[in-house]
Amino acid sequence: MVRTSKTEKGVCWEVQANNQTFHKSLRRRSILCVRWGRYADNVVRSYKYTPLTFLPLNLYEQFQRAANLFFLLIVILQCVPIIATIPWYSTMLPLLFVLVVRGCKDLATDVGRRRSDSQINKRPCDVLTPEGFRTVKWKDVCAGDILRVHKDQVIPADLLLLCSTEPHSLCYVETADIDGETNLKFRQALTVTHAELKADQAEKDLAAFNGVVWCEEPNGNLHSFKGELHWKGERHLLDIDNLLLRGTVMRNTNTAYGLAIYTGMTSSDSKILQNCGRLILKKTRVEVLLNKTVLVILLFMLTVALLLAIGAGIFELQVAPQLNVLVALQRGSSAAYLGFLNFWGYIILLSPSMPMSLYITFEVIHVVHCLLIGWDLEMYWEDNDSPAQARTSTLNEELGQVGHLLSDKTGTLTQNRLLFRQCYIDGKIYGDMSQECKPLDLSWNRFSCGGMKFSDQRLVEKLRGWSSPECQEFFTALALCHTVMSEWKDGLPQYQAASPDEDALVCAARELGWVFLSRTRETLTISELGITRNYQLLAILDFTSKRRRMSVLVREPGGELKLYCKGADIVILERLQKDQPLQEDTDSALELFAQNCLRTLCVAVRPVPESLWTEWSHALNQASMAGGNQETMLEEIYDQMERELMLLGMTAIEDRLQEGVPETIEILRKAGVKVWVLTGDKTETAVNVGYACKLMDPDTALIQGEELRQLLDSPSPDVRAMSKEPEVWITDRKSVKSKTALVIAGPELEELTQKPEWGARFVNLAGQCQSVLCCRVTPAQKAEIVEMVKKHSTSITMAIGDGANDVNMIKTAHIGVGVCGVEGSQAVQNADFALAQFSFLRRLLLVHGHWSYYRVCGFLLYFLYKTSAFALVHVWYSFYNGYSAQPMYESWFISLYSTTYTSLPVQCLGIFEQDVSAKSCFSWPEIYSVGQENKLFNPLVVALTLLYSLYSSIILFFIPMGILQHSTLDFQTLAITVETSVVFTSTVEVVLKTKYWTKYSFAAIVFSLVAFFLSTFVLHSTRLFTASPKDYFFLGASANAFSSPEVWLTIFVTTCVAVLPSMTMRALSVVLTNPNKHKIHSSKEPVILQSWFQRGTLRRRSSYAVSQGKGFGKLITTGVGLHSAAPPQDRRVTPNGLIRGSPQHAGIEMNGSYRA
Amino acid sequence: MKKEESSERPDNTAFTQQRLPAWQPILSAGIVIPGFLIIGLAFIGIGIALFLTSQTIQVLERDYTGYEQDSPCFSCTSSSTKNCTCEITFSLDKPFTGPVFFYYGLTNYFQSFRKYGVSKDDNQLSGDTTYFKSPQDQCFPYQYDSNKKPIVPCGALPNSMFNDTFELFHVVNKTKKRVPLDGKGISWWTDYNIKYRNPSPVNGSLANAFEGTVKPINWPKPAYELDPTDPNNNGFMNQDFLVWMRRAALPQFRKLYRRITEGDYAAGLPAGDYSVTIHYNYPVLNFDGRKKVVFSNVSWMGGKNEFLGIAYLVVGSLCLVMSVVMLVVYAKFKFKEDS
Repeated sequence: MVRTSKTEKGVCWEVQANNQTFHKSLRRRSILCVRWGRYADNVVRSYKYTPLTFLPLNLYEQFQRAANLFFLLIVILQCVPIIATIPWYSTMLPLLFVLVVRGCKDLATDVGRRRSDSQINKRPCDVLTPEGFRTVKWKDVCAGDILRVHKDQVIPADLLLLCSTEPHSLCYVETADIDGETNLKFRQALTVTHAELKADQAEKDLAAFNGVVWCEEPNGNLHSFKGELHWKGERHLLDIDNLLLRGTVMRNTNTAYGLAIYTGMTSSDSKILQNCGRLILKKTRVEVLLNKTVLVILLFMLTVALLLAIGAGIFELQVAPQLNVLVALQRGSSAAYLGFLNFWGYIILLSPSMPMSLYITFEVIHVVHCLLIGWDLEMYWEDNDSPAQARTSTLNEELGQVGHLLSDKTGTLTQNRLLFRQCYIDGKIYGDMSQECKPLDLSWNRFSCGGMKFSDQRLVEKLRGWSSPECQEFFTALALCHTVMSEWKDGLPQYQAASPDEDALVCAARELGWVFLSRTRETLTISELGITRNYQLLAILDFTSKRRRMSVLVREPGGELKLYCKGADIVILERLQKDQPLQEDTDSALELFAQNCLRTLCVAVRPVPESLWTEWSHALNQASMAGGNQETMLEEIYDQMERELMLLGMTAIEDRLQEGVPETIEILRKAGVKVWVLTGDKTETAVNVGYACKLMDPDTALIQGEELRQLLDSPSPDVRAMSKEPEVWITDRKSVKSKTALVIAGPELEELTQKPEWGARFVNLAGQCQSVLCCRVTPAQKAEIVEMVKKHSTSITMAIGDGANDVNMIKTAHIGVGVCGVEGSQAVQNADFALAQFSFLRRLLLVHGHWSYYRVCGFLLYFLYKTSAFALVHVWYSFYNGYSAQPMYESWFISLYSTTYTSLPVQCLGIFEQDVSAKSCFSWPEIYSVGQENKLFNPLVVALTLLYSLYSSIILFFIPMGILQHSTLDFQTLAITVETSVVFTSTVEVVLKTKYWTKYSFAAIVFSLVAFFLSTFVLHSTRLFTASPKDYFFLGASANAFSSPEVWLTIFVTTCVAVLPSMTMRALSVVLTNPNKHKIHSSKEPVILQSWFQRGTLRRRSSYAVSQGKGFGKLITTGVGLHSAAPPQDRRVTPNGLIRGSPQHAGIEMNGSYRA
Repeated sequence: MKKEESSERPDNTAFTQQRLPAWQPILSAGIVIPGFLIIGLAFIGIGIALFLTSQTIQVLERDYTGYEQDSPCFSCTSSSTKNCTCEITFSLDKPFTGPVFFYYGLTNYFQSFRKYGVSKDDNQLSGDTTYFKSPQDQCFPYQYDSNKKPIVPCGALPNSMFNDTFELFHVVNKTKKRVPLDGKGISWWTDYNIKYRNPSPVNGSLANAFEGTVKPINWPKPAYELDPTDPNNNGFMNQDFLVWMRRAALPQFRKLYRRITEGDYAAGLPAGDYSVTIHYNYPVLNFDGRKKVVFSNVSWMGGKNEFLGIAYLVVGSLCLVMSVVMLVVYAKFKFKEDS
């Protein structure tokens, strides 16, 4: 086959059915990094290491961390005797420890990945071999294989549907794992494969199938597919409707046969894997600043070392030559060379200012914070026995800095359970909204499946007593007017609905005795309190988002024609007959439902005279024959029919919120977190939920559509600077903060992600509004919105979701949170934190996040202080030792200082410290802004800390030196004095920092001091000296120094002067802020709750929320999928062009014209 | 029960729930301001005590480098003269209460230089004779002499040992009365008893133990002949050697030479004229160094040290000032709040 001449551009992926040898020869292989071949195998390889590559690869990864590399350099330097100022082991041992621990951690996670991989790889599926269908493992599937998939199986690779056991080779799939939508979607095989390959004798037919598929290269677009099947000399077009994607689950279809087109996981040929996004290593802002600080410290260190080295050079050049003793030590080297050596010597000496232990301790603290999150009983969900889970251990402090929360709706805010809660019939409202309702006794109804959250005995009695024709008609309408399909299982009808709303309505009708039994293309069968009645289905006037209503036209068993219509209140109410009774009741019922945040639908009926029907059906036929603007014509015709309606009643469906969602959102809003909801749902549904979960106040004005577009189009790049212009939103600006919300959907959203200048304006605008609702968002767009927020605002973004469609967004956001919901575990797998409930977010952010931030910042600042103050002393001492890189301390002290003498108190600080109690965190959510504004760890604070450590180091050296210089001061005594002062100073500093003294904090302080004195005593003891005089040459120094009152007095005054500034600052802050603080701590009066419940100004109306897209209407009217004979679609390409199917199938034809 | 086992439910302990009982000191102006006041007063008290104590200590310093032409030791500064002796005199108006300590001091001398400081062999000095034959590398270039013989004690630090000696005379009626100087116990106890050990004498002679080694290049005599008057004060156990080996921290330092604790002078030096006879051996002028002799007595807090007392006084005053400032701030703040 000559592909360039016959196929379209870009269609160059060739798959030959039943030709294993062709694909095997081109199978993708790789050795190290070299890859060749075309077709990936179907093996999931998410692991990173093999036994052979573990060591080099892991070391390579670890040394990509600048810190590790730096410490390796220091170790190497320390091993060079000529420049070694302190022994090699003081850095080598900690470094080895870090490498080993992290290596083990990586290995453990990789083993876990291998385990889960092999579970997936071992899943069975049926592949056609010359000997018939054989069960093989997923990993053995390759492109070109023909697979058999059974009901409820997960599809192992992207398959071209060839045929299925269903009529017209239809096949239903659930795509929850891909887009989070739980409604069923149908896929259909090509006519030609359906006709030629009979499902009942599939093995034989399929074995002979030798079609060749030409299609696009693997890509990540889940909603489009371009390709063609070449078979028996003809070409047939393929699109996404012919494709079964990996990861989807087959439902309601017995068996389907498909040809594997894209396979593979790691090489990501299959579409879902192309969509997974790359694993991004997330770094917190604190960590970024820390790394910058480290860089600054390193640069500072290099500069200081350089200056000291120059000093050393000058000393060697000018001073040393006159000192006989030192001349000899120069060994004839040039001054420049000696200075060069001293440069490295000083680098080694100053390197403890950036100690390894900082990184180790930082990691330990992160791990403990993660454990504390997992241990928190208040974030443990009894129902599914799942505690909170911190899956990424490095992001804790960022939890305290979240500025934007981007939330998924379905399954995250809502339970994804729609419940029929209330209805309004004939001026009366049935059902109540109380949480505790005792279930109705429905034992009289043999079709009842339970699950009703509706209790109103009055209605049941009225229905069963046949005493209210209005009620009967209402439920007849519910049982008839929908596009639900039924399927019988265990003597009960199971419904497949295009939207959960329809499902809820039909189920409610069923529970109350009006049971939809089955449908064919022309009939609807329902059981009315046990009496089975057949309605002739004349037309379905299907739902579109523009019409916001749907109707069915039926002929009653008695022969009368009736139109049943349901839809949004605005649409229906304007189509009612004049002089409807009970106008006021209707309005008040609508208002009541809206207050309760229920989704309402109006149900209406119209008796249709026979003559009208004849006339109308004629028009309809004509319209469907016409080409061009068929849609608008149909709309007009439908509109003519849906008039003069009579209101039957209204339904009120509750989109159940997860527990505690409104409270959580409310407190998060008070804490200054901007909450955005991103949903694939339609605008109305989203807005409804937005009000329900207190994302917006009842009187919040929505800016959407054209208004929003105008705002975004305003030329000024800075939205705030636009106050001169009389823009719409400017007038609202005084009250803008609490009174407006942005709602964005569809085309604006698309443009938003394309026009960069819009993005900035939008984020800016959103900053002034209460909240933002993004509707009709695809998974990729969710990620793009997160990206946009990240780009145009400085705040930390957090994404929370529960489904596979949220994975991208979770990965993109600074912090991703997965809700362990019902939609599978993909979100959790990719999240940094996993929660069982949305409401736990409140504790995760306000308590754990705030504490983590507070602790980590305190820890880092203190650590930087103590190590810098400690290391800088060498610099001052070098003025008195000829810049010879003489350490101020004993080498043991250098290794033990940050690991033993000062490590525990700072860990306690990082683990136990609390500035306010958990309760206060909730009572004063405002304190969360400390993290959002990054007040505790910003360049200024870091600079001040470093300056303070500089000051302390000056004090720590010059005061002892000044006091002791006139005595018979020897080096060791000075060293001990300075060492003790350093330990005391850092201990006092941590004491000053600690506000929450647990027993561990006390113990840590005591331990540190005891450890210092004890180890000093031991290291200076006779026993160790006699064992190795060279290593323990400080023999007796501490005993001698500590017996001198002068030394103690020196240590005391040095410590006091060194900590005096921080003590004074603290005291001043106490004096200055005391009145406020006092208020916060002792005030018992409750915070004045802003009233969110101003019902008076209610402006909004209910929402119509029938289906997510177009319903199954077309499918039903064309009869496809129903057990009635109708010619299947035909899209064969002939040289003459496209043979169109018969007119009545034109609608199902998605891509109308095609030219070869 | 079964459910209990498989439950992921976290433990309900004070630690896991972060409810550890804790002491949360809540500071207020009422604690902070008096606190500063008390600390300040305490520091000032200590400072005054230290300052006064320091004032009682007498110190007498005399430079004898011979830098100026009219100084008595000028004649000894030319490198050609050997065994030069010079004499400096001083007179005391008041008696110098004892015990009096006699120091020598050096200026601009970098004992703190890193390579100089490590240039010794601790193993050798602890009497390990294996290191007599092959001293450790850090002694270089004072490891072996030109004949490849090992130097004991090796290294720059021992090699540069201070070797001026002093005699103190009380001039009474123009006759010199020798003031007895006590050279025992001037080194650290640990240095004398543990850190430095002579090699075990061979055939009863310390000199034999040093056989096969040579003396440090700058030394006039080998280690085992450092003190001809006292056989026990030789080798590495020589007090002056030990004092020298205890490295000074700063380039300007003083080291204890002798104590005046005996005879007529046990209670101190009476007022009168004194002369110090110096056997001038140690060259310092080539690096612009200075040599001096220092006499001082000590108090409970050590030698004369005005800086310590001043430091306390300064810190104390700062605290006082701060407490006043805070009081003012607090008063203003409160006033504002009230209004």
